[in-house]
Amino acid sequence: MQRIVLQFIYSFFLKWTLKLFIGVKFDNTDFLKEENAFIILANHNSHLDTITLLASLPPSIIHKVKPVAAGDYFGKTKLLALLSSYFINALLIDRKAEKKDPTQSPISKMIKEIDNGNSLILFPEGTRGEPEVMKPLKRGIGLVLAKRNHIPYIPVYLSGMGKTLPKGEKIIVPFNSYVKFGKFQRVKSEDSKKIISQIEHDIVELGMTRKNSA
Amino acid sequence: MLVLTKDYQEPYQMQNNFLRLDYLENNDLLLVIILIFGILTFASLLFFLLGKLKPDLNLVELKSRTKSWWFMTIIFLAATMFSTTISYFAIAFLSFVAFRELYSILDFRNEDRYAVFWAYLAIPIQYYLAYIGWYGAFIIFIPVVMFLILPLRLVLKGETQGIIKSMASLQWVIMLSVFGISHMAYFLSLPDIPNFEAGGRGLLLFLVFLTEINDVLQFTFGKLFGKRKIIPKISPNKTWEGFLGGIISTTIIGYFLSFLTPLSGFEAGFVSFIIAFSGFSGDIVMSSIKRDIGIKDTSQAIPGHGGVLDRIDSLAYTAPVFFHLVYFLAY
Repeated sequence: MQRIVLQFIYSFFLKWTLKLFIGVKFDNTDFLKEENAFIILANHNSHLDTITLLASLPPSIIHKVKPVAAGDYFGKTKLLALLSSYFINALLIDRKAEKKDPTQSPISKMIKEIDNGNSLILFPEGTRGEPEVMKPLKRGIGLVLAKRNHIPYIPVYLSGMGKTLPKGEKIIVPFNSYVKFGKFQRVKSEDSKKIISQIEHDIVELGMTRKNSA
Repeated sequence: MLVLTKDYQEPYQMQNNFLRLDYLENNDLLLVIILIFGILTFASLLFFLLGKLKPDLNLVELKSRTKSWWFMTIIFLAATMFSTTISYFAIAFLSFVAFRELYSILDFRNEDRYAVFWAYLAIPIQYYLAYIGWYGAFIIFIPVVMFLILPLRLVLKGETQGIIKSMASLQWVIMLSVFGISHMAYFLSLPDIPNFEAGGRGLLLFLVFLTEINDVLQFTFGKLFGKRKIIPKISPNKTWEGFLGGIISTTIIGYFLSFLTPLSGFEAGFVSFIIAFSGFSGDIVMSSIKRDIGIKDTSQAIPGHGGVLDRIDSLAYTAPVFFHLVYFLAY
């Protein structure tokens, strides 16, 4: 049931709303079906980023892709947590849980999802930043990929979302934007710091190539 | 008295018929539609045969342009064929997309978002004024009301650094993409003229067909005979040969299509001459904006053509000019 609901909301309704009214140009993502589990890593400027990424996915796998979201924000109340995990398919993580209970730490939660065959959407910048400027990446994703180095990741560059709905603003002002998907990448190192810089390089490069060709 | 009421009621009832195929019921309009599809078929066949006969010619761009022309023609006719109400929405949406494109390529400040949001809201209002046919309000809403309000909204944000550029850009964006284009919708609200059957739809078809055929003819004449450049700094592909060839042939075509308008053949020819000239003007004005920003196309929405704005830049000029000429001559 959740699968059909998600397909209707994202693959149909929001996809067309974003296309027609916000001016989002989607990328072809059919290649995502080739791998069982993967991690989508994108830059983060707007609340629209998550729904745009979900709307980009092939409808047949949308229920297996979980956006990683901050539990203190999207899970403030029990009801909100329930709604986010149903309608956004969110994996709520508690950014401070590590000290209390290791099994509830964000890293082990994400690894558990991957081992269950689910895919993740993650914004390694941690929080929304200024439009078109990358913030230093958080190290968490490096730790996850170091432990599961057979899992591919896909760098994604989102452009213009931070202009349509920037952080701290309430009104949506449509701005032509685009989603650019990179290719499947695998980590080249065991060291989480090196993994982080590899990811950062991939996302930034994606934005640069697109800008030059446009 | 009885005859009068009958005459009055008939068009009213027909307007309520949602899926009335206006174009197909009016022979004048149907003739031009057949002509348009004839031209498209001719172009497609020509490039297909040229490609077969001379395989070393590079026809990729021309073919994708022609293909996009097919799509645009079908979408335009579908949007204006079924019901007047759909036409207003479709043209308003066209304005919206053009506005968004232009706003996205111009470098606005973060502080300008609220004023831009208000400018977006002006689109439905402007088209509603066209829909109810309130001429006075329609004609002043953007160049008076919005032009006074938008700078004020920018000022209320309190950031003066770069505010002149924002004021000027925003007004020019709304002028090009909303005010000019909205005249296309107002044709449909013009009162009926006795013995002029094509009506507002005929005028709209006349305007769009002549504007676009003028673009195509200027392009074609320029490609075939172009030697002397007009304004190489702004648009290196514009030549005197293309410009004059386009203007002369558009004037002649307009003369023969005068049955779509309430004008005489001579008047229609004159108006077409003005359409051809203003189409060229709109084109180079948009080109100079793109040149300043350093881009070739406003977006990649239409294959072979660039953005929506690249296609309707000439309409932003021809629509208001043609509208006011016809309004002066016939209404």
